[in-house]
Amino acid sequence: MKVTITRENFQRGLSAVAATIPARTTLPVLSNILVETLEDRLRVRGTDLDISVSVQTPAEVERAGAITLPAKKVADIARELPDAPVQLQANGGRVSLVCGSSKFRLHSLSADEYPSFPEVPFDEGWGLRSGEVQKLSAHTTFAVSSEETRPVLNGVLWQVRGAEMRMVATNGHRLAKMVVKVTRDAAGQDEDLIVPPKGLQQVERLFDAEDQLQIARSESHLGFRTARVEVYTRLIEGPYPNYEQVLPEDNDKICIADRGALTAAVRRVAIVASDQTHRVRLSFGPGTLALAVQTPDLGEAEDELGVEYSGAPLDIGFNANYVLEILRYISTEEVRIAMSAPERPATFEPVGGDETYLCLVMPLRLME
Amino acid sequence: MQRRIHILPDHVANQIAAGEVVERPASAIKELVENSLDALASQIEIEIRNGGKTELRVADDGYGMGRDDALLAIDRHATSKIRDEKDLRAIRSLGFRGEALPSIAAVSRFELETASVEDGEGTRIKINGGRVVAVEEIARRPGTTVTVRSLFFNVPARAKFLRSAAAEARAVSEATTALALANLSTGFRLHSNGRELLDVPRTGDLAARIAAIWGEDLASQLLPIDYLSDGLRVAGLIQRPADTRPGSRRLYLFVNGRPFSDRFIVRAAEEAYRTTLPGGYRPVLFLYLELPAEEVDVNVHPAKAEVRFLNKMKVEATVTEAVRSGLEGIESTASLGQQATGTVQLTSRGLPPGQARPRPTAATPGGAQMALFVPGEVVPSKPSAETGEEPGWWTGRAGAMWQLHDSYILAETRSGLIIVDQHSAHERVLFEQMMRDFRGGKTSSQRLLFPITLRLSPGEMQAVEELAGVLRRVGYELETFGSNTVIIHAVPNPHPHFDAERCFREMIAELAHGSPLVDSARNQHERVAKSFACKAAVKAGQPLSEREMTELFDRLFASELPGHDVHGRPTILRLSLEELARRFGRS
Repeated sequence: MKVTITRENFQRGLSAVAATIPARTTLPVLSNILVETLEDRLRVRGTDLDISVSVQTPAEVERAGAITLPAKKVADIARELPDAPVQLQANGGRVSLVCGSSKFRLHSLSADEYPSFPEVPFDEGWGLRSGEVQKLSAHTTFAVSSEETRPVLNGVLWQVRGAEMRMVATNGHRLAKMVVKVTRDAAGQDEDLIVPPKGLQQVERLFDAEDQLQIARSESHLGFRTARVEVYTRLIEGPYPNYEQVLPEDNDKICIADRGALTAAVRRVAIVASDQTHRVRLSFGPGTLALAVQTPDLGEAEDELGVEYSGAPLDIGFNANYVLEILRYISTEEVRIAMSAPERPATFEPVGGDETYLCLVMPLRLME
Repeated sequence: MQRRIHILPDHVANQIAAGEVVERPASAIKELVENSLDALASQIEIEIRNGGKTELRVADDGYGMGRDDALLAIDRHATSKIRDEKDLRAIRSLGFRGEALPSIAAVSRFELETASVEDGEGTRIKINGGRVVAVEEIARRPGTTVTVRSLFFNVPARAKFLRSAAAEARAVSEATTALALANLSTGFRLHSNGRELLDVPRTGDLAARIAAIWGEDLASQLLPIDYLSDGLRVAGLIQRPADTRPGSRRLYLFVNGRPFSDRFIVRAAEEAYRTTLPGGYRPVLFLYLELPAEEVDVNVHPAKAEVRFLNKMKVEATVTEAVRSGLEGIESTASLGQQATGTVQLTSRGLPPGQARPRPTAATPGGAQMALFVPGEVVPSKPSAETGEEPGWWTGRAGAMWQLHDSYILAETRSGLIIVDQHSAHERVLFEQMMRDFRGGKTSSQRLLFPITLRLSPGEMQAVEELAGVLRRVGYELETFGSNTVIIHAVPNPHPHFDAERCFREMIAELAHGSPLVDSARNQHERVAKSFACKAAVKAGQPLSEREMTELFDRLFASELPGHDVHGRPTILRLSLEELARRFGRS
C-alpha cells in the first residue's frame, strides 16, 4: 500500500475513530486502527467490538492495500507533524510514515487480523435527519443506569412509532423521556431498540445535524451511515421495563419555578448534603419553595425561593444530584414540577418550548 | 454442770484458719511470696518438690526480720502491715490479715530463716504442726527463707484433697506467673523438682516480662492501653483483634497490684472487642486497674482471689472504654513485619507529670506492688510519634493512593504505608452507621420506579415478616404479596455501586438461615446491621475512583474501630518505613 494524504485529513480521520479505541484490552489488535484504501480515499476504522466506527477521508492512492497502525501512537504522531503531505507506505510488517523531513517506521499487525464489522442490511433500513436522533440522545442518555445488574437499563430505549420517535432512559430512580415528530422518507416499520449510550454518543459526535442518515438493524446490531461515516453499535437485548405504566398521570400538585434560581439553590444547599445519599428536602408552600438539608455530623442548610405553587403544602425529599442533572438538560427558563405525595414520583418538564420532554425522579424518603 | 462450749487451743484454731488461707501448695506459695514482696524483695526464688506437697521453699532478699519479730510473726494476727481498723479501709500491702505464717506453720513442718537488714542477726525457727520445736541463731544474709515440708501432714482430710504433683505444680506455676506479672521490679525464679519453670529478671517493662514468660510472639501481638477516668486508671496490654484465636486464653487482672479474678470485668473488657472478633475468639488481656484503696475491698476472701468494688458499674464501664481506646488507634491494626511497639516513659493520661505518685522507697513498705504505675517505671505505651499523627495520620495526599486489583487500597501514611481492604473497610463504616441510625438517626430510602418482586422460601418469608420493622429502618420498604412473594418499593442507597436486589436476597438468606456473623449478634438490630454491612459493602473487584477512595478513607477513620471489620478480620495492614528499611537492609 502506498498513499499520500494531507496532514489535516489524516488527523481528522484518526481523531474520529480514536474514541472507540479501548484504553486497555486483552485483544492487542483492538488497540490498532485499520487503514484501507478506496478509490480516491482512505477508510479508517476503529472498534472495541461493542461500538465500531469508520470514516473516509480523501487521499491520493498510489498502490491499494490495507494496514493496521497503533492507534494511540499514530494519533500522537499526527498531532506533532508539520503541515505537509503525509505519505504512508506498507513494507512487510512495517509501515513507514513520511512527512516533510520527519520519518517514522512503525510495526504493524496484519490487516487480516482486524475484526470484521457487523453486517447490517441498510437496504431494509430507514432514513432520518441526524439532528433528530442527536437531540433525543442528548437529552436522555444521562439517565441510563451505570450498574451492571440490569443490562437493559444500561441502554436507551429508542422507540420508532410511525411519525413519532422517542427515547427513554432510566436507572430505576429517575427517568428521562423525549418525543419528537419525524418525517421518515419511507413508511418504515415500528422499532423498539435498546441502544448503549456509547453508540449514541458516537452518532452525536460524528454526524452533522443536517446529515441524512441511513439507519438499519440486524438481529444484534444497529448501524448508522452517511456516504462518509459509519457507526455500528451492539444492541442490548430486551425486554425493557414497562415505563409507561409508572409515569404518573394524577400528579396534581404543580409548581412552576425559575430553572436558574432552583438550580442555584439546590446546588448551594447540596454542599452540606450527605456524600452518600445527597438528600435534599423540598417543601412546597403557597408561593414559596423551601429547601433544607440536614446531615448528621456535618450540619444543616436552608434556602428559599419564590415559585408559582397553589397546591396543598408538600414535603418531599430527593437526591440532589438527580434534580441537578435534570435541571441541566431542561433548557427552558422555567420548569414545571408535578407531584402528588412524598412517596410518589415527581415529574419535571420544560415550560414552553417545542419539545415533549419529561424527566421523572423517585423521592428519597427518610425512614424513622 | 460441765461446760459444753470452750475456747479452742491455738493450734486447732490455726488449723481451721489454715483451711481457708492455705488450701494447696499454690496458696501457701502465694502467701509467702506476698510476704516477700511486702518486704520489698528484689529477687524471689521458689522451689517445689513433688508439686509442693513434699517441700516448698520461698527465699527472698527483702528486709528480713529480727529474732523478736520473727517469733511474733508466727502468732496469729501478728502483722507489720496494719495497725488498727482504720488501716483496713485503705490497704496498700498485699498481706494484712496476719494469718498466713501461723496458718501454714500449723499444718506443716515449717522452717523460717531470716536476717534483718538492720542488725544482720540471723534466726531460724522450726515449727512442727504449729508447735515451736527450735529457735536458733544462724548466720545468713539479709532476707527470709521459708521452707514448708509435708504440707497437711497433720490434716489428713485436707491432704487427701490435694491433686497430683503435676496438677499442684501447675497451680504453683500459675500463681507465680500472676505474681510475676503484678510485680515487674522483682525477679522471679521457679524450680520444680530441680527443673526451671520460670525465670524472669527484674524489669520495668510489662511487655518484656510477658516476653520473658511466654516469648516474643505473644508480646508483639499486644497493644498498650493506658486510660484514666475519674480516679480510675486502667492500663496494661491487650491483644490485637487480628491475632486472637479461639480456645485457650491468657487473662490476668490486677487491682492495685493484686491479682484477682472477676468475670464481670472480663466481660466488660470483651465487650470492647465486640464486632471485631469472630464468634468464639477470645483476646489475651493483661489489665491493671488502679484506684484509690478505699474504693476497693480486697478483704472479701481469705485467699484474696476476689475483690469488691465500691462502684462496680463504673469500673466495668471504664474497663470497656479503656480497652476500646486501645482498639481505636492505628496501632491496633494488623501489621506486616515487626511491630514497632516501643517502650516509652509512662505518663498517665490526664495526670500532669509533676503530680504523679512518688516512687516508693524503703521507708514506705507496701508500695512495691504499685511499681508498674510509677513514673520511672517503663511500660509500653502508644509510640508518641504515632499518636502525634492522630487523627490525621493518613496523609490524605491525593495521588498517594492506589487501588490494587480493584480490591485493596494502598495509601501513604506518615510512618509508612497502609493497605486497606475496601470491602472490610466499608463493612465497618456501614455497620457503625447503621447502628447509629438505629439509635435515633434516620436512614434515607430511595423509592423505586420499578418495584422489585422477589420470590422467597418459607423460612426467608418468615424472616422478612419478623424483621419488617428493622428492614424498614435499613431502608427497605417492603410489601408482602401472597405467601411467598415480597415487593420492594424502596431501597437503601449506601454507595453508587450498590445492588439493592442482590443485597436484599443475600441478607435475607443469611438472616433466615443464620451464619457465624449474624449469630454472634446480640440483638435483632445488630443482627441486621451486621448482615447489611456485609452484603451492602463495596465488593472486592469494584473499581473505585480517587474520590470514592478518599471518601471511604475519611469515613473509615471517622468510625470508632477503623482497624477491624465486623467479622473479626483486619481492615488495615500496616507496613512501616522501619520495616521497609529493615527488609532492604538499610537499618
